[in-house]
Amino acid sequence: MNSLWIFPGQGGQSAGMLKPVDAALRQHVEHLLNLKLLDSDEGYRDSVQLQVSIALQQVAQVNAMQAAGRKPHLVAGHSLGVFAAAYAIGSLQQDDLFRVVKRRAELMQGAYPDGYGMGVIVGLTRAEVEALVAQVNDPAHPVFASNQNAEDQTALSGELVAIDRVVALAKQAGAVLARRLKVPVPSHSPLMAEVGTRLAAVLADVTLAKPNGIYLTNYSGRAVRQVPPVREDLSNNLVHPVYFEAMMSVACDYAPDSIVNFSPGRPFRKVLGQKFGDLHQINLDQMSVSDAVFLLNKWERGTY
Amino acid sequence: MSEERDWTTHRQAKAAKLSAVSNKLSGKFAKTSDAKIILEGLIASGDKVVLEGDNQKQASFLSKALASVDPGKVHDLHMIMSSISRPEHLDIFEDGIASKMDFSFAGPQSTRVSQMIADGTLQVGDIHTYLELYARLFVDLIPNVVLVAADKVDKDGNLYTGYNTEETPVIVEAAAFHDGIVIVQANEVVDKLPRVDIPADWIDVIIPADEPYQLEPLFTRDPQNITELQILMGMMAIRGIYEKHNVQSVNHGVGFNTAAIELLLPTYGQQLGLKGKIVPNWEVNPTPTLIPAIESGWVQSIHSFGGEVGMEQYIAARPDVFFVGKDGTMRSNRAFGQVAGQYALDMFVGSTLQIDQYGNSSTVTNGRLSGFGGAPNMGSNPSGRRHSTPAWQSLRADDDPLGKGQKLVVQMVETFGSNKRPVFVDSLDAVEVRKEAKLQNVPIMIYSEDTTHIVTEEGIAYLYKTDSMAERQAAIEAIAGVTPVGLRSNPAVVKDLRERGIVAFPEDLGVHRNQATRSLLAARNMEDLVNWSKGLYNPPAKFRSWS
Repeated sequence: MNSLWIFPGQGGQSAGMLKPVDAALRQHVEHLLNLKLLDSDEGYRDSVQLQVSIALQQVAQVNAMQAAGRKPHLVAGHSLGVFAAAYAIGSLQQDDLFRVVKRRAELMQGAYPDGYGMGVIVGLTRAEVEALVAQVNDPAHPVFASNQNAEDQTALSGELVAIDRVVALAKQAGAVLARRLKVPVPSHSPLMAEVGTRLAAVLADVTLAKPNGIYLTNYSGRAVRQVPPVREDLSNNLVHPVYFEAMMSVACDYAPDSIVNFSPGRPFRKVLGQKFGDLHQINLDQMSVSDAVFLLNKWERGTY
Repeated sequence: MSEERDWTTHRQAKAAKLSAVSNKLSGKFAKTSDAKIILEGLIASGDKVVLEGDNQKQASFLSKALASVDPGKVHDLHMIMSSISRPEHLDIFEDGIASKMDFSFAGPQSTRVSQMIADGTLQVGDIHTYLELYARLFVDLIPNVVLVAADKVDKDGNLYTGYNTEETPVIVEAAAFHDGIVIVQANEVVDKLPRVDIPADWIDVIIPADEPYQLEPLFTRDPQNITELQILMGMMAIRGIYEKHNVQSVNHGVGFNTAAIELLLPTYGQQLGLKGKIVPNWEVNPTPTLIPAIESGWVQSIHSFGGEVGMEQYIAARPDVFFVGKDGTMRSNRAFGQVAGQYALDMFVGSTLQIDQYGNSSTVTNGRLSGFGGAPNMGSNPSGRRHSTPAWQSLRADDDPLGKGQKLVVQMVETFGSNKRPVFVDSLDAVEVRKEAKLQNVPIMIYSEDTTHIVTEEGIAYLYKTDSMAERQAAIEAIAGVTPVGLRSNPAVVKDLRERGIVAFPEDLGVHRNQATRSLLAARNMEDLVNWSKGLYNPPAKFRSWS
């Protein structure tokens, strides 16, 4: 089957989400990273706990799918999700993934203690949002248009004061929705340049293999088949917007016949509907891997 | 006296290439597993290569083989393709096997084409109409190698291309008579062909494919998805255009708007007493939604660009209507179909994604460089046309003694698209795309000067009747609904335009909105179409909602 596998980033996590994870794998990761995973609401307020746990949940789902004989033709990660995406397409090794994700979380944790974060504007085009951002952004109060999750949905990253100013302008300009997000870091903007440089140094020592399919990049919204752009995406995606809308547009050109949404949550419902219509979709947040495999096998046989 | 020139360099180059792979050939035949080696031997870096990709039939085995060649041996090809349809058509640019592309249509790969042009990975020669691209194969884009697909070949190398002959003959001809190399992938090697579509003499190498070529049922529209708004627009078009202009010959685009018209002819058209009076002759792919009109005697002839999956048995049983060989199977021909569509038709009816305030339309939108398929040939007025028909004459301006008629070019659109974006815009996205893609011309699909009618759910604008750009804009505004263009409309002006017949609303045409219901469709689902066909139409699995 020509399947698109999608891996979200942070946002959909919940206490207890690691319960279905294979115990041996969890133990292996805890030992590898010297980190006891709490899988609790309090634990998930810690960036390292959160990012490693999401990666673990996604890797466990990938392993279970692959053990059942399923593999992707296309993979798309969103932010943190890029690591499991690169793993699923055979580019990044499992232990390397967990080491890199832990380091990424540590670097992000220390980057911006307070006063910075993200916002979102719905109902304006990216060009319109960029024009508003240009009115506000200055070195003392930096703000940037960041992730493009749908055509009419653009994120903001920067100083909170500046974000609030852009939000106010967006409301005046007729945005359907404009507000701050509960994200404590100005991710996916040039403000993360130092984190990107340090993470790139970590990735430089990691061996990546040529993808066994198509990898969709966050930083450019491109479909790629070679190692260098995958490495760039894993190293530097925090510095660039996630061009998720473009990733899904280009994925359409590969005419996937099914989509598998990995946990946690189901954040891309709207844009996937716009891009793919009523294409078959699996949501691993709502069903077990064995049910998912049953459905995929059934669709593949052409029986509905 | 200068030295004697060698006049056979092309022939010698071809012979040298073929002799270099002769140990891999048995007669014209190569082994499936040798495809990569054959292509590496027969294609030289920098060659002009035509890879057959119609919008339905794809030389998919050869395109995969081409994507697997070593870029160290074969690189910087100049590809000439009517349709960029498959991912590997673009992979060859990423891998350096090819560097330049001349094409017509890129719908299925339009995002990636747009990205690769922006990245400099793909250099565009030009975007063409189909006929332009075929024409250049005989002038300044004469191919060195062509890669095409056949259904069946016999032991001598004759080809049967059958229903899906499409553009294979025109491509093969351009190479075969100018010392180009013709390489064919074949679904099947047989002792006896149903008929010969292309003679063995024109063919150099045949490679049996590992699986049948890709074929998509692109022109099938499920009647279940036709809306009542589309039915209303169809009724307006039948009354206000087909009947009014006495249209005899037509091409329909692939949308649901035209599918609605096809399914309204046997019902609403019958009520109006139009049977036998309008549209007996069609240049169109064998779309299943035509079955009720054929069965009820509306249609006398259909010539097609290509086949349509599932229609084979039905077509074979209706040779009075379709173009069918002595063997009983249909023959299509994309090049001749486009010639017919441009020169011999009274009317083209299509749809688009954007229309600007002046009436120019395009399917190129931000981030998607789609090209245009058949619309620009058929949706343009052939100004050199001589022969006269009542519909053509009905558009003649009466103030010019040397005047002549005009083809009807009709755009049918709802004022807002399925993405809830306005179709009527002040400026086409294509204007920006031209800058980004560094194209010489704005990629417009149908020019304002060629567009004679626009139909929306609000009414019809008879653009050919306008005598200034300001009047043309006012007519477009009158039917553009609550889009930014439509909101500029002035009620007094609209009243005047209606009185002068430049704009017509449903009530002006005697079309009753409350009659526009799905019960008016001659077939409301795929099963109805199968029943109309007396079981001869066999829908592909994805269109079967019953078992």
